[in-house]
Amino acid sequence: MPDPQDLHGLGERLDEAQRKRAVRTKRPPPTQLGIASRFATELVAALLVGGAIGWGLDWLFGYFGIHTKPVLLILFVVLGAAAGILGVMRAAGEINAGIAGNGPAPPVRKDEEN
Amino acid sequence: MELRPMEQFEVKPMIEQPLFHVGHYPIYFTNQSLLMILVVLAASLFLTLAMSKRLMVPSRAQSMAELSYEFVANMINSATGEDGLVFFPFVFTLFFFVLFCNLFGMIPGSFTVTSQIAVTFALAAVVIITVIVTGFAKHGIGFLMLFVPKAPWYIVWLLVIIEFISFLTRPISLSVRLFANMLAGHTMLVVFGGFVVMLGGAAIYLKPLALAPLALIVAIMLLELLVAFLQAYVFAILTCIYLNEALHLHDHH
Repeated sequence: MPDPQDLHGLGERLDEAQRKRAVRTKRPPPTQLGIASRFATELVAALLVGGAIGWGLDWLFGYFGIHTKPVLLILFVVLGAAAGILGVMRAAGEINAGIAGNGPAPPVRKDEEN
Repeated sequence: MELRPMEQFEVKPMIEQPLFHVGHYPIYFTNQSLLMILVVLAASLFLTLAMSKRLMVPSRAQSMAELSYEFVANMINSATGEDGLVFFPFVFTLFFFVLFCNLFGMIPGSFTVTSQIAVTFALAAVVIITVIVTGFAKHGIGFLMLFVPKAPWYIVWLLVIIEFISFLTRPISLSVRLFANMLAGHTMLVVFGGFVVMLGGAAIYLKPLALAPLALIVAIMLLELLVAFLQAYVFAILTCIYLNEALHLHDHH
């Protein structure tokens, strides 16, 4: 039967070891290359999707005899650009918050440290 | 010399006869199929062999497997919180498949599976379908509130359209990023490789110049190794971020 005092000490040593481990397995910082490729595709893809939706809607209305031809395409390319900027802002927010990068420790570790 | 940098991306049948037909379309066993099978075999073998001994003090291979486990588990934990860990097998498989595809593509003379938009888009579609199914399973029809940000009524309808486009953008940007990165890198390698051959075959006083693109290829090779890891990582972390939104809507930000 082990002494409970010993077990208490063991618990503390385990906590200590886990904390050291948590520091060691930190993820790599986001590189410039990763950020650049993320922002660029976010913008371009949103423009393409917006344009595709506008073009499709124009075709759909034209099919039913309502001639909106370039109007919806233009409208949705602009909306797509807005969506692209939204996406880039989100990506920047994620990188700042450290979700996609080397940020503060995840919330689960907080109670362990206190 | 004729330089054909896009030749490496051609999907060619490995066996003359098609395996079977779907409707009128013949289905071939292509170099792409072969590489995918090799990738899956290599990744599974690496992980099972590395973990087979279950040593208390891990061997080199075992600690590689353990580190990659912790790496992905930490990634999911920090992006989605603990309830996202049910998706660990999914994200881990995606990460390893993309990583091994990218790395196998780095072997000279092989084929890069992830340089095909069909492959990357299929992967991205699986991710987005998982996100949608998870969202509806967890929140029911309330998942659609993902498209309704907090804003005054006169602007909300416009934001809903923008949010919707932004959501549809995800599978496109996810697949195009991986595909474009691999395509661009491997094209660049062949183009600079062509410069070496051309300068090497030129007049005698031009031959030493061939060393410059050769040095550049070595540098690009290293860069491509980095990109192979980075793009697998980006693919996995974005999967986690999208799953987080399906699990917690916007309240978790």
